[in-house]
Amino acid sequence: MNPMNYVYLSAVLFSIGAAGVLLRRNAIVVFMCVELMLNACNLAFVTFSRMEGNLDGQVIAFFVMVVAAAEVVVGLAIIVTIVRTRRSASVDGANLLKY
Amino acid sequence: MSSTATVLAAATDTGTGEAVTFWVLGPLAVLAALGMLASKKAVHSALLLALTMLSLAVLYLAQDAPFLGVVQVVVYTGAVMMLFLFVLMLVGVDSADSLVETLRGQRVAAVLGAVGFGALLVFALGDAVVTNEGLDQANSEGNVEGLANLIFARYVFAFEVTSALLITAAIGAMVLAHRERHLPKITQRDLSVQRFRGGQYPAPLPSPGVYARHNAVDTPALLPDGTPADASVSRVLAARGDVRSIPEQASTTAIERAAPRREDDGS
Amino acid sequence: MNTGLTLAAEFETPSVEYRLLAPMLIVFGVAVAGVLLEAFMPRPFRHETQLGLAVAGLLAAFASVVMLAGDYSVAASGSVAVDGPALFLQGAILLMAIPGVLATAERKVDVGGVFAPAGSSTPGSPAERLLVAEKITQTEVFPLLMFAIGGMLLFPASNDLLTMFVALEVLSLPLYLLCGLARRRRLLSQEASLKYFLLGAYSSAFFLYGVALLYGYAGTVRLSGIAEAVSSEAGNETLLLTGTALLTVGLLFKVGAAPFHSWTPDVYQGAPTPITGFMAACTKVAAFGALLRVLYVGVGGLAWEWEPVIWGIAILTMGVGSVLALTQTDIKRMLAYSSIAHAGFILTGLVGTDAVGADGELLGVSSVLFYLVTYGFSTIGAFAVVTLVRDAAGEATHLSQWAGLARRSPVIAVVFTFFLAAFAGIPLTSGFTAKFAVFSAAWAGDARVLVIIGVIMSAVAAFFYFRVIVLMFFSAPAPDGPSVVVPSPLTTVAIAIGAAVTLLLGVFPTYVLELAGLASQFVR
Repeated sequence: MNPMNYVYLSAVLFSIGAAGVLLRRNAIVVFMCVELMLNACNLAFVTFSRMEGNLDGQVIAFFVMVVAAAEVVVGLAIIVTIVRTRRSASVDGANLLKY
Repeated sequence: MSSTATVLAAATDTGTGEAVTFWVLGPLAVLAALGMLASKKAVHSALLLALTMLSLAVLYLAQDAPFLGVVQVVVYTGAVMMLFLFVLMLVGVDSADSLVETLRGQRVAAVLGAVGFGALLVFALGDAVVTNEGLDQANSEGNVEGLANLIFARYVFAFEVTSALLITAAIGAMVLAHRERHLPKITQRDLSVQRFRGGQYPAPLPSPGVYARHNAVDTPALLPDGTPADASVSRVLAARGDVRSIPEQASTTAIERAAPRREDDGS
Repeated sequence: MNTGLTLAAEFETPSVEYRLLAPMLIVFGVAVAGVLLEAFMPRPFRHETQLGLAVAGLLAAFASVVMLAGDYSVAASGSVAVDGPALFLQGAILLMAIPGVLATAERKVDVGGVFAPAGSSTPGSPAERLLVAEKITQTEVFPLLMFAIGGMLLFPASNDLLTMFVALEVLSLPLYLLCGLARRRRLLSQEASLKYFLLGAYSSAFFLYGVALLYGYAGTVRLSGIAEAVSSEAGNETLLLTGTALLTVGLLFKVGAAPFHSWTPDVYQGAPTPITGFMAACTKVAAFGALLRVLYVGVGGLAWEWEPVIWGIAILTMGVGSVLALTQTDIKRMLAYSSIAHAGFILTGLVGTDAVGADGELLGVSSVLFYLVTYGFSTIGAFAVVTLVRDAAGEATHLSQWAGLARRSPVIAVVFTFFLAAFAGIPLTSGFTAKFAVFSAAWAGDARVLVIIGVIMSAVAAFFYFRVIVLMFFSAPAPDGPSVVVPSPLTTVAIAIGAAVTLLLGVFPTYVLELAGLASQFVR
């Protein structure tokens, strides 16, 4: 099996995540789709790391996990706050800002 | 197959075991991701995403990244997804997502865009001439040691700066979720003082009357002198006017006692 | 790689040049000290102490930037570049952050400040009324601001894509939080925060996939390594092009260029106004710095590939910004679209890659650096003015409420007119010299059509700025219109700094232009 298959898998997962952000209405699910995109990036990093024969890609994937963890905390805190103010997690409800 | 292709295949080929792992877990990850996209309930999405992440963890293990595979399970599925589930529970699990399209054509455009983007990526990468160096040399002293060598030497500044991220995350969560107490806390002692100072009835309120037929909360208890105890009935019932009056109760009970027992009470 | 027998022999101690990294270390240190102050300082003294600490830290960091001038090398095992553009932009960010922080600290215009008394309290709840009555404010905003500034200092100086990604997140996360903390119209502010967060995370995922593909191309994320791979034409070109495109998408999002601009008006409108000013100025400076470094250092060898794309994006951005600004009825949204249009003008300067000045300076870089400084100071000043026009509900941001403002407060109307004139690029303001610099760089870089389109677009843009000026000076004020609040010295100083820089760079631009020219060379 060609290791590029892993990269194709990551591209497919990344596209699914990218589509999900545009398709879903629930802010938490939208955020999950972003996490899927980050995971797809990590798979690409790990695969390229193995293809290139150096560990830099794995180190980057590790940093991405750290960053994602911090991002999740901030993001979920923002979502919880807005839900508490408005009692809805739908991004459609967030419609005070319009052209 | 031409000879160059065979040579190339030999150079880039991975073992059969890995191929089997990939062809089992790869489709599983994609299906779970699609399921996450399609499922109506946010909790199902979260669990399916956790499944995708677990499959990816195994794929990391298969690709000479044991440390990342373990971290993926611990951090992503263990911490991040559980935090997601936590927040979902906090927000309310039954808040099913409305899948009604609000911007006309947006869904079709999004799907087309994503399929196009994915196809672009896959086909653009399709003609890639790949080398597969393998990590045997890089991992010769152990994967964790190799990673540590890089993190604490070449990427040490980025590593230090991530501490700013973690502090920001902690402050952010505190600012948005932590309620600081601005009034002194009311202790048990304060409560009891308040209770006696207020001139109210300090003891627990009497329970409502319990009679042969009407052992219900809408019937006041009788005091020793035969008068009804108003405090024994909930104020809400009193305000609604649902309290049964005692003379009526007393008289019906008395009549029933005097009259001979009938066959069926309900007719 | 690691072929030695023992780790101890193999591990090379990292070189952390504390002197070269001093600006960032000072700012991060102040941020951490601010967090500790929150824990130990009694509440009544926190606000003043935090403000003093922040301003002192910014000044100290600026002093260390000045001392590093001319001393160019790479630091921290090669992950940070300390060179002309990096130091120039760091200095600019630090100087802009001072009026930004001052305007943020204002507590007189709205009693208690621009931020919610507590981010966790529900607006309108009894708990919140109690906090308002006790004049409690959220002072955690200062450490958050300092963390954001630290990230902004690192962003244009990062010499590898991993450091750049971490810096991007360090600067973004505090801003997402700060956007959602407005005292008035909290729900609007929280929505802005949510939108900024979701779209920001989305764009950083694209950035990251770009990094992954470039890593797959070059086997390293160091910009110099990528540049080497590009020049030796090793590796797979599709990986390189797709990676560069995705990376650029992430950066253009932060810059606020079309078609990745859609977050800008919403976030600028919803965020607390001083934060909007700070964000509009400093984030743009940092993001353009990173974009310059990626395009010139990392994939400079591909200039013939990305120049046409930047061309198109510059035209689209100028068009979208200028035309949609015409239709706005809210002053903050109008300024947001104006900032999009300015991103387009700055991109114009970026195209002049092969334009070399008389002293060998890269005109493309130096004009962008200069434009960023002029635009940043005017923007902070303009948004600070917006905070002063208020009615009972808070800031009066609807354009109709600004009618006849000159009758109520001639000074504020004149100052705001001056800022708008600078945005429009009228001579004797910094905006004119800046536009002249980017257009001449693009002209020298043979992008003549782009320059002509740019000039037309600045004429369109000038129209909506003048519409506001006419509204302020020649319309009758509404009877129940807003009043202009006299601010404390904090906002006054912020506006004065903005106006003074706008005037000085309009009349005597030579010194800063020469400095930008001197600072236009990257280390690799």
